[in-house]
Formats: sequence, C-alpha cells, structure tokens
Amino acid sequence: MSKNLSAKLGYTGAGLTVFAAVLAPFLLYGLFTKAFASLGLHVDEVYSGGPRVRTIQAAGYSIDIHRQVSPHMLQSEKLFVQLDWRPATALPSHVSDLVDIDGDGKPDVRVSFDVPKDPKAPLRVDVDSLNPRYPAMHNVGKQKFSKLIVRVDDAILVRIPVAQ
Amino acid sequence: MTGGFMVFLFFQMVRTWKTYRWRRWFFVALGLLFPVGFIHNVIAMRGTMGIPIEEMIAGRTPFCFIPIPLLILPAALTKTLVFPGSILPNGGMSGGGMAAMAGIWLAATIVVGKGWCSYACFFGGIEEGMAAVPAKAKLSKIDSRWRLGPWAVLLAMVLLSLALFEPAYCMWLCPFKAVSEYVAARNTVGSVQNGIFILLFATLVVALPLLTKKRTQCAFFCPFGAFQSIFNKASVFEVKIDRSRCTPCVLCQKSCPTLALNDESIVRGETLMSCMKCGACVDACPKDAAVWHIRGTEVAAKPERARLMFLYAAWAMAIMFGGSIIAGGLATILHVFL
Repeated sequence: MSKNLSAKLGYTGAGLTVFAAVLAPFLLYGLFTKAFASLGLHVDEVYSGGPRVRTIQAAGYSIDIHRQVSPHMLQSEKLFVQLDWRPATALPSHVSDLVDIDGDGKPDVRVSFDVPKDPKAPLRVDVDSLNPRYPAMHNVGKQKFSKLIVRVDDAILVRIPVAQ
Repeated sequence: MTGGFMVFLFFQMVRTWKTYRWRRWFFVALGLLFPVGFIHNVIAMRGTMGIPIEEMIAGRTPFCFIPIPLLILPAALTKTLVFPGSILPNGGMSGGGMAAMAGIWLAATIVVGKGWCSYACFFGGIEEGMAAVPAKAKLSKIDSRWRLGPWAVLLAMVLLSLALFEPAYCMWLCPFKAVSEYVAARNTVGSVQNGIFILLFATLVVALPLLTKKRTQCAFFCPFGAFQSIFNKASVFEVKIDRSRCTPCVLCQKSCPTLALNDESIVRGETLMSCMKCGACVDACPKDAAVWHIRGTEVAAKPERARLMFLYAAWAMAIMFGGSIIAGGLATILHVFL
C-alpha cells in the first residue's frame, strides 16, 4: 500500500515537473526574476560608486558628489569618494574645478583634467589637496576602482581616495 | 533551423532509446556556438573581449550562472551583490541583468536539478566535444578522490568571495574567461589573471578531456557543478542501477563523464549526487541495468516512461534556453560569412 502511494506521489511529482518545464518561460522565469529583483539587494558600491548625495552647479554642467564608499573586510580597494562631471558633452576642453566634497563651505580639492573630443580617448586627472582627508594624486588613469578617472556614458567620473 | 535541429534530436532520442548520443549533439553545438555569438556581440559593442573598468562601473558586465553560489553569503550578510553587473537590464552587455539569470537558473533547477549541467550549461559542451574526439582514453585510471575537487573549489571560492568581496572565481579561476570575456589587462595582476584563465582552459577544457574522455573541468573543478549537486535530491528524476540485471561490468562507471559512479555506488544501485543525468551510463549498459527512475517507484518499473518524462522536462528547458543560444550563434555565423 505504501509502495503504491509513494509510486503515485513520484509520478505526480514527475508530472508536475513536466508541467513546470512548460510553464517556465511563461510564468516561472518571470516570477523568479521579479522575486529576485524585489529582494532589496544592491550592487557593491565599489563598482556602482554609491548613492549621489549632493550636486554642485557649474557653468553649463554639474558635479555630482557621491557618498563615501568604504571597502569591506579584505577588499583590496581603499576608502574613496566619487565625483561625476555631467554632461560630458558640455564640458570645456580643460576642466579645473574647486570642489567642496564634505559640504562644509570650503573647497577640499582642485580637480583638473583634459576633456578630449574623442570619447574613447584615455583620460588623466590631477587632484590637488586642500584638505588632508583627500590626498593629492597626479596623472592618474584607471588603475584601481578607488583611484581613477573614466568616462561612463555622458559623465566623467573621478574617484578620489579618502585618508582614514 | 535550430527548431528543426532540436526536434530532430528529440525524435531520435525517442526512436533509438538512446539519450546521451543525441543529447551530445545539442550540447556540443551549444558549447561551440555560445562563444561565437557572445564574442561577436562583445566585440561589436566594446571592440574588445576585455571588460573595461568603465563597463564594470556602469554595471554592464554580463552575468553568467557560475558566480551564483559565490554571491549568496555576501548578499545574505550585507544585502550586497559582489558583482559589477546590474540587477535589471542596463543596456550594453548586461543582457537581462542578474535577476534574469537568477530567474532562469531557479526555474531550470526546479525542473532538472543537476541536469542543468547536461541540458543548460553553455560551457560544458566544449569539453564534452573534446572528450568525444579520441576513440579511446589515454589516461583511464583516475583516482576517484578527484571528484571532491569541485567541492574544495566551491568552499574556497565562497569563503574568498566573502573575504575579498569580489567574485573570486570569476576574477582568478574561471577557465571559460578564455572564450568569453576576460579582465582587461590594466596592470600586472590583470595579465596574471588572464594567464591563469588560458592555462586552466587549455588544461581542463582541452587537454585533459582529450586524454581522459571525461568532462574534467566539470568533474574536478567547477564550483557551480558542486553547488548544483545539492539540488539533485530535490528532483524526482534520477538514474539507478537495477541490481537484479547488473553483472557488474562497470561499463557505466567507465562511460560516466563526471565520475558520478564508483564501485560502492553501483553495489548500492545508485549514482552519486554529482550525477548530471546525461544518460551516458544508460546508453552504455549492455544489460539495461542502468535505468532512468522516478523517485518513489520501483527501480525497474517502466524506466522508459521515466526517461521520457524527464526528457520532456529537460528538453523543454534545453530548447528554451540552449536553443536560443544556438540560434544566436548560427545567426552570427550567417551574418559574418554571408
């Protein structure tokens, strides 16, 4: 009797599996995708740069200042802050801006870089320190996630390490 | 064309009662055509197979299923996905985003369990094709302890991914980076990483399958395969050895591409949990002792019914997931050459 019951359960399971396979593209896949997306997960800020906290308006363009990003555990990156110049198309051929990163009314760094017309041309940035929290860096390209200048879509992103 | 190919293979599987022989055509086609379509798209969009740091920051790194087990602990502890992709579609090579891949993987796992490695994985076909080339294995004596390799790699990579907060396997050990996309060599570390990818691909995916006639990357190395084995118990479909028919000639053991049968498991009439339901042992058994089985039923009870029910489910997944990749690869070849 129990063998009979377990066989029936087995065949029911097999039938449901076939049914699930047919349903997968129409229902299951979409259901699981939505469920995953609604878990409230976020991509590591070392990659995404963290949420934007403030925007400074300049002549024809703006500078977005992101929240400071702290590395986790043994992550090889350092503490950094990301600044976005956008739109890149509105930037002059040479940018040299004083930026108040922490919002205390005093500039913390002077960021200088050339903006080549070719969007694929390599970028280099100089950062002069006006606050010991943000050390100077010179002729930096894109060696590390925590210290770089890159063009992403219509923005030029500069990441400046923060002294701990 | 792809639809006709898949229907033909299914028809042959049903007509000849052979699963592995015909499934292999699909799987090798999938393994060979995935890189064709993928590399073409990457080069068309970025101009290089290297992932530029800009694309990582923009969240447009394509997400495959292999890092899924590595992301679980950091996500559970900090709600953070340690992968430079995006959760939802984000243009470029982001595809459907991480949520879409997670959705596909979950749906397929419910349906076929570890069968993912035989009917959905778009990497395994390369080594299965390599393993099919020689008529006889030059290296036939393999210590069965090697099958613990994927578990060791899984454990090491899960802990390392949590500690370093990066997908450690993708960064350091994935052999398939050699035929998909690699870390753009911005510095010495990047060059070392790419060297490791090429070395592992040449060894585990090309040389060892040619020497052993086994899927050596899957059997000895793949952390996702080990992770997927955990879900094998959730599937109602399995392969059993009918002890009343078994001689035992161990042809099943010799034919298994991933060492999922050993002497003890044959005595118990079972496959090991790493069985990926490819059907090689069932095709190889001259006494019909290796059989498809539905849990709860008698071992020898209607194995053909069990095989067909499994194939309906597995082939539906294969057509939907693998079929679209094969079609993409074929379209690329037609586009490039015609």
